[in-house]
Amino acid sequence: MKLEIGKFFVKKIEFGSKTGYANGVLTINKEEALAKVREDEHITEAELHIVNPGDMVRLVPVKDAYEMRCRIEGAKGVYPGVTAPLESAAHGRIHALKDASLLVVGKHWGSFQDGLLDMGGEYQRNTIYGAMRNLVLVADTDEEFERHEQQKTNHALRWAGFRLSEYVGECLRDLKPEEMESWELDAVNRRSESVQKLPSVVYVMQPQTQMEVPGFNTLIYGWNANHMLPTYMHPNEVLGGAVVSGSFMPCSSKMSTFEHCNNPTIKRLMKDHGKTINFLGVIMSNLNVVMEQKVRMAIMVAQMAKNLGADGAIVAEEGYGNPDVDYIQVLVELEKVGVKTVGISNECTGRDGKSQPLVALDSTATALTSSGNVSQLYNLKPMPVVLGELESLARDGLSGGWEGCVKPDGSAVLENNAMFCSDHPSGFSVKRCFDF
Amino acid sequence: MKKAILYLNQFFGQIGGEDKADFEPVLEDKPIGSAGIFNGIAKNVKIEQTMICGDNFMASHTDEAIERCLKLLEGKKFDIFIAGPAFNAGRYGNACGQICKAVHEKFNVPVITSMNVENPGVEMFKRDMYIFKGGNRATAIKQDMTAMAAFADKIAGGEKLLPADMEGYFPRGIRHEVFLEDLGMEPVMACDRAVDMLLAKLKGEEYVTELPIPKQDLVPIAPAVKDIRKIKVGLVTSGGIVPRENPDRIESASATKWGKYNIAGLDKLPAPEFKTIHAGYDPEQADKNPNVVEPLDAIRALQKEGKLGEVDDFFYATVGTGTTQGEAARMGREIAADLRSRGVEAVILTST
Repeated sequence: MKLEIGKFFVKKIEFGSKTGYANGVLTINKEEALAKVREDEHITEAELHIVNPGDMVRLVPVKDAYEMRCRIEGAKGVYPGVTAPLESAAHGRIHALKDASLLVVGKHWGSFQDGLLDMGGEYQRNTIYGAMRNLVLVADTDEEFERHEQQKTNHALRWAGFRLSEYVGECLRDLKPEEMESWELDAVNRRSESVQKLPSVVYVMQPQTQMEVPGFNTLIYGWNANHMLPTYMHPNEVLGGAVVSGSFMPCSSKMSTFEHCNNPTIKRLMKDHGKTINFLGVIMSNLNVVMEQKVRMAIMVAQMAKNLGADGAIVAEEGYGNPDVDYIQVLVELEKVGVKTVGISNECTGRDGKSQPLVALDSTATALTSSGNVSQLYNLKPMPVVLGELESLARDGLSGGWEGCVKPDGSAVLENNAMFCSDHPSGFSVKRCFDF
Repeated sequence: MKKAILYLNQFFGQIGGEDKADFEPVLEDKPIGSAGIFNGIAKNVKIEQTMICGDNFMASHTDEAIERCLKLLEGKKFDIFIAGPAFNAGRYGNACGQICKAVHEKFNVPVITSMNVENPGVEMFKRDMYIFKGGNRATAIKQDMTAMAAFADKIAGGEKLLPADMEGYFPRGIRHEVFLEDLGMEPVMACDRAVDMLLAKLKGEEYVTELPIPKQDLVPIAPAVKDIRKIKVGLVTSGGIVPRENPDRIESASATKWGKYNIAGLDKLPAPEFKTIHAGYDPEQADKNPNVVEPLDAIRALQKEGKLGEVDDFFYATVGTGTTQGEAARMGREIAADLRSRGVEAVILTST
């Protein structure tokens, strides 16, 4: 299984007469791009913006982030089962714009899972998007049924993001990539002796799937991952667009669609494959509501890892609070069958830092990576430009905001919880918790 | 220049040895003993007064000793309070912990002490103050005092304080987020930190978890009651059900108090005579019907059916939300002792 990704490094984004890419400059024909967004009649208003690292711009409520890419070979589109016919995402060729992303922002209305991000100032470094050149879609919809709900599926906006990222990426189809990367992993029983001798490692992903109502959960090939038992996947499937982010997880804990397509933990394990480890692949798990579901899931992950011959596992949790139980349960079950574990998650230690960092703890979990504190308090100064609506942070039940947290002068107090993808459990985080 | 007050025991306060351990508290208007080391290091803060109290006096008359020490401090201007170092001296460690805790609570100034890891005072007080990792005997006095002085100097100078391990004190059970670059560390991504940790773990090499699992104090489950009809049963709740006026002033969160309330002759807990003061859940239902948290109505029904025998005339209540494990354990011990004195042999404990 070989997946090739041709890279195009964006140094500038601008609006122009023809959507295209040349010499580091991405040009967007605004009207054509917006027409793509408006293909869904539920989009009522839409505007495009360009933001760059260091710009004193605040974006809120951010719904999701996307890599702008196109499928050259293999599947027939970027997100099989979501925007394209169902085909394996694991092989073929993709062209992608690098150092850039598409961010989708609600024009007015936010929801529990939405976040805030600053392109400049003290909090620019909280997300990887603060260091990228971003095309920003700010749009509204006629989804009246959830207008005043705290939990929103954000369907029209999220799907507008898929379409728009594919539309822009399409301009790369006939271009020669500036750099190629190639991801390849043989079947587990068809590997050379020298590779088989290395310690075998699996990557266990626990994307957020805890909503029983349809429309909110992470999708795997378009399938609601709440409705599945843990399964084995080729890492190329994740990098190739088989997994898209949902619309439920409080934002600092989120794995965006961009991050699935660029999962840095997978990339690191693939790079180490054949050198220090024998990377067996991804065990795609999920996060559950009922204890029995959590235990069943963990037992199945453990038996799969064991029978694949894993010596070690990296477990990543997209969430905090209740899903910590699933996370710890998986670590415990893996250790029980002799698979050595390391976990990646954030913590929730409270504003005073004194609360138990995870809802569930177990002394078996001796090797944990920390990616941030959900309840760290941030004081944001006013920003000259806000894309979206700042008041949504206080008004609409964003997980780290509350009534009154936005001040009339445009400053705001919030918990990290509402900072878009800030804890990056996908692996990008360059912060962690320390004991004080 | 900020001001600090130093607390010493009779020995380090130069009063005398074990024969002077009952020495009663005094506050001297001068730096004494190791205060000199402190004042030689710190640039932003100076010890100008020294409090001395005998270790025995503090240990055997704790309440009185604390009260008298606090009284001596009243009206004094000081920004930081230092105690010890106490090395591995158990009584001295206890004294440093007790006085630092009390001074912090009353005057809300930073309090710093130093103890050896083996000193029981570390476990008792590390959540309440900065306890620096000290040597196990008095020969370490210079380095222990130097560490406290350097840290006090940082506080006095308004400098950014680093994590516990980097500063050298025992973690206080507080965890905050920090960017690695802010500590002068390489900004290594979580995925790389995780994979590196796994490689070390697989090779059997040393690694340091970023989230140490706190030691859990697991209480074994008591053996089952043979016949619950033949013993006296008690009722306890952490759901905050109290008489309307909350006579014991139990806190709505982070409780440190508990109460016991008479239910003799009651068929159920009546509203609004009883209500909840718990701030961790929506009180509407419990205020309407306190029995949803402390189920006296169901208990009485079981008694009538003959499934339960005697039930104690009092129920016990506190609030569970935000309550520290330490306070919860203390209240648990106190309530258990009270229940035993009333002949209760089993308890129905309801949470929220």
